Amino acid sequence: MPVTMKTVRVHLGGLLCLFLFASLSQVHAARIGEITEISVWEQALRFFSFRDPSLRFALTGAILLGFTCGMLGSFLLVRKLALVGDTISHAVLPGVAAGFLWNMEKDPVAIFVGATLAGLLGSFMVTRLTATTKLKEDTALGMVLAGFFGIGICLVTMIQRLPSGNKSGIDKFLFGQAASLGASDIQLMAVVTVLTIGLVWLFYKELLTVSFDAGFAHCVGMPVPWVHHGFMLLLAFSVVIALQAVGVVLVSAMLITPAATSYLLSDRLHRMVIIACILGMVSGALGAFFSFLGHQLPTGPFMVLSAAGLFVLAFLFAPRHGVIHRWWSQRARSGQVRRENTLKAVFHVLEREEFKREGVTFMELAESRRQTLEASEESCRELQRMGFATLPPGEKALYLTPEGMRRAQTIVRNHRLWELYLTDAANYPPDHVHDDAEEIEHILGEDIVRQLERQLNFASRDPHGKPIPSPEEIVSVHGAGSGGLPGGSTGYGKPS
Amino acid sequence: MPGREGENEIITCMNQPHISLSDHARTDAWTKGLSDAEVPLEVHDLTVAYHHKPVLYGIDLRMPPGKLIGIIGPNGAGKSTLIKAIMGLIPTDSGWVRLFGEPNKKNLRRVGYVPQRESVDWDFPVNVMDVVLMGRYGKLGLFKRPKKQDRDIACACLEKVKMMPYADRQIANLSGGQQQRVFLARALAQESDLYLMDEPFAGVDAATESSIISLLHELRKQGKTILVVHHDLPTARNYFDMLVLLNMRLVDFGPTEEVFTYDKLQKTYGGRLTILSEVADAVRQTKS
Amino acid sequence: MSELIPAWDWQNVVVAPWTTDLPIYGWIVLMGFFVCAACGLAGNYLILRRMALVGDAISHSVLPGLAIGFLVANAWTVGGSADDASAAGGSSHGFSYGLAVFIGSLVAGIVTTLLIEIIHKRTRIKQDAAIGITFSTLFALGVVLISVYADKVDLDADCVLHGEIAFVSIQPFLSFAGHEIAPAPVIRMGIVALLTLGLIVLFYKELLVSSFDPGLASSMGIHATFVHYALMCWLSVIVISAFEAVGAILVIAMLILPGATASLLTTRFPKVMGLSVLHAALSAVLGTHLAIWLNSSTAGCMVVAGTGLFGLAWVFSPSQGLLKQWLRRRKTSQESVREPESEHTGIEGA
Repeated sequence: MPVTMKTVRVHLGGLLCLFLFASLSQVHAARIGEITEISVWEQALRFFSFRDPSLRFALTGAILLGFTCGMLGSFLLVRKLALVGDTISHAVLPGVAAGFLWNMEKDPVAIFVGATLAGLLGSFMVTRLTATTKLKEDTALGMVLAGFFGIGICLVTMIQRLPSGNKSGIDKFLFGQAASLGASDIQLMAVVTVLTIGLVWLFYKELLTVSFDAGFAHCVGMPVPWVHHGFMLLLAFSVVIALQAVGVVLVSAMLITPAATSYLLSDRLHRMVIIACILGMVSGALGAFFSFLGHQLPTGPFMVLSAAGLFVLAFLFAPRHGVIHRWWSQRARSGQVRRENTLKAVFHVLEREEFKREGVTFMELAESRRQTLEASEESCRELQRMGFATLPPGEKALYLTPEGMRRAQTIVRNHRLWELYLTDAANYPPDHVHDDAEEIEHILGEDIVRQLERQLNFASRDPHGKPIPSPEEIVSVHGAGSGGLPGGSTGYGKPS
Repeated sequence: MPGREGENEIITCMNQPHISLSDHARTDAWTKGLSDAEVPLEVHDLTVAYHHKPVLYGIDLRMPPGKLIGIIGPNGAGKSTLIKAIMGLIPTDSGWVRLFGEPNKKNLRRVGYVPQRESVDWDFPVNVMDVVLMGRYGKLGLFKRPKKQDRDIACACLEKVKMMPYADRQIANLSGGQQQRVFLARALAQESDLYLMDEPFAGVDAATESSIISLLHELRKQGKTILVVHHDLPTARNYFDMLVLLNMRLVDFGPTEEVFTYDKLQKTYGGRLTILSEVADAVRQTKS
Repeated sequence: MSELIPAWDWQNVVVAPWTTDLPIYGWIVLMGFFVCAACGLAGNYLILRRMALVGDAISHSVLPGLAIGFLVANAWTVGGSADDASAAGGSSHGFSYGLAVFIGSLVAGIVTTLLIEIIHKRTRIKQDAAIGITFSTLFALGVVLISVYADKVDLDADCVLHGEIAFVSIQPFLSFAGHEIAPAPVIRMGIVALLTLGLIVLFYKELLVSSFDPGLASSMGIHATFVHYALMCWLSVIVISAFEAVGAILVIAMLILPGATASLLTTRFPKVMGLSVLHAALSAVLGTHLAIWLNSSTAGCMVVAGTGLFGLAWVFSPSQGLLKQWLRRRKTSQESVREPESEHTGIEGA
């Protein structure tokens, strides 16, 4: 594989990711002992024993919010609204502050209402900005995000400087602290989660259609604005319930990252949503666990890093869309193409001589494929490795095995059939077809080839007059020795 | 961008008389004797502007049922905008649209819509069958799920466009022609009376194009009305019964033989018709 | 609620900062102005390139660069002799700290851009999600680092968001030729702002062309990717220089607010740049007064002031303002639509 800037960057990126993760785990392991007097193991055991009520609340809350964010985040992702999620999650901050000011204490309902109103106001402003000015959507999103957040920070610092401010616990809302979740918080989260599941289940097909093609949904009679605004409302709810555990700044990560991970793992939306929910729950639980290990560590960042870790795993190893799989299958494909082109060249050389001899020298192959001698020798060795040819020592030539001959004939047949199809059925001029056929021949499946044959009435010659090997010829050679192809110009002809 | 001569011709074109309210008789000509409910599409004085720059200006149309109608005009002429305005997808500055006698928003369920291929994200995690089933959602209403009968209809529509073997394939793994056929199957599944199609032949191979046309002929035989935004002038003459010539204003509307003339095409395309001189020649030859 | 908003004390809020308290507030206003101006100028290009939220991303993702820079510098100075350690004073403004942090920010900026590109070019994930994943993960990493290494890193998590600009005035002053000039952070930020202006003036054509038409730019020999990375790196430098004083929030806001406000008031690009600087100055001044009155975070109040100025522009803009649009709508809509007489439109989307 040629080394290009792109491959360098990929490798660099991959190494960086690995480095980041290795360093993180080292860092954490090293620090735990210094922060707490209890050892890491004891803390971990304490976690899993679930004896601590605040721990039970923290874990339940983390799992609930992971689930909800994963579910709604999937729709955000496929609708390309990732940054809208980010904007709404920042825009709720003034609402949270207002909720605090309502009763001068941490009142879950007041905070919920305030934050939801702020979030809705934010998304409303974005729409109005793009509708009434020439500002583009990303600028409008950025401004609402920063503007509302700035107002929020202003209010938060004001609250913190009040005499009663230090007890308010509002600073926990910036980066999240799952340990501060109480029973009433968990109840609220549970209600919102159940509501989300119910509405998504009930209106799944509306959400699917509006997300995929809003114009069509409108045409089919779906209440598109209701679906959209209802979704935004649900989103605001889920952002608000996630705030206390994840923090304002990082909620959007919990919306997007598990959904992105499951986007790489699935090809159907309903499966993607389910996987995203599961991944969200796992990330939430892991985050709660890690932040529990160290005193007073904020939970949000750990949840996000867990979700990111899962994302990296999917990015690299996902079965169809992962980077490693794509690289591997591309490599395999280009190897196959290389081998088949060599076989084809060998066949052409033999055909030129009317199959009167059995071997093809490296030199002839190099000339025919316009390669260097070394390159052609290497291709021949590759054929030998795959069992398609033998290279007797001492001779600089190659002899096709029966399997190799069969393969060569198949590939030539595909190429010539395709050329014939293009010229006859699709009316391409004969001098244009060779390159197309070069590409297509490697991927034609058996059933397509059969269809081609039927359509072309089992023709025996390609547009350039060369014979098209028929299946019978190919099969019969398989049993015969390595020499002599009966057919071609001697015409085995069509099946009866 | 037109050159100097082109610009002058365009200015002349813009000042040419177009079909206005006074020519109402001609607009009405193709729907004489039909009640409002039988007229699939009626557009009156439709104007659509974007920040005060007009995209469509004063469009009047009354379409007869059971015809295959093409909308042609240069780029930027408002063809796609017209389709979107008919469906109520974009706000209009004046005028109204009636579908089968009712205001368009009321009767949308009788319209089948095939959008441009670019309007959709083909990486969306759905397969071919999912997309075609969406065509049935309109009939289902809010809380119902598709039943076996809906699936059967979807399969039948896939068979009609010869995409049944691909039913399980994720839509990103389809060629351009296949994607277009999936959209078509979705519209067929809606079982509509009026079909609106936005450039269905763009970027599609010859075989798909001819199969789409034969499908449209079949629909026409069933009495459906089909309105197609078309980009290719030479084929427009062969494919459609009637043509709408559009360049922000309506230049003309009528049967293809009457409307596809050099003068009218010149008015529609302005100076840029010089590129299509071979078509112009062909047209002139058929007239002589 | 009444204890939340202090009484309006004319003397304290409006007059004192410019007279008796000038030594304190003067530097704060100046620092704020430099930050807002630098961000505003650079941010205009982000707006043009529709990358407003990439600016948001960079502002978050430099945090791990900052943290790692601190840790590395810490390791260097502590590893030296006792004299070195005391000479450095453990202060976060020693040279090695400054350098390490600077390098850390550049690396973070490059890594962010690289990761975003890797994610959205190599998988079917779209750019918006790639941006979101990258910056939030890096930011989370940064927060973890500063929480875990709280004693070695001179920041705390809240400060990251809104900084503590008040400390600017009490930082050690830098001297030149024996005279004390200004607090070190202010000088640094001033240099960064001037350099920003200088670079924009120097590369005006290149930046403009590559923002509007990358195709034309590459045919002119301007390498679009290079400009992109260079812009990102410079953005990281601006963010890092501003971080300790004003935190992430002011930077994110000021990348967009001045440019957006200016674009509502004029269409010519040089005027947009000029108005951005004016907006920066006004936000800095008004924000400081607001913060004094409300006893709140100065950075947050500067954002509030900037947002307020934007709101005024939105409503009262002579060309696009809401007021103007409302007045126009009083006439019937078709009259306000020009008849297509004298121009052939090449409108897209038809």
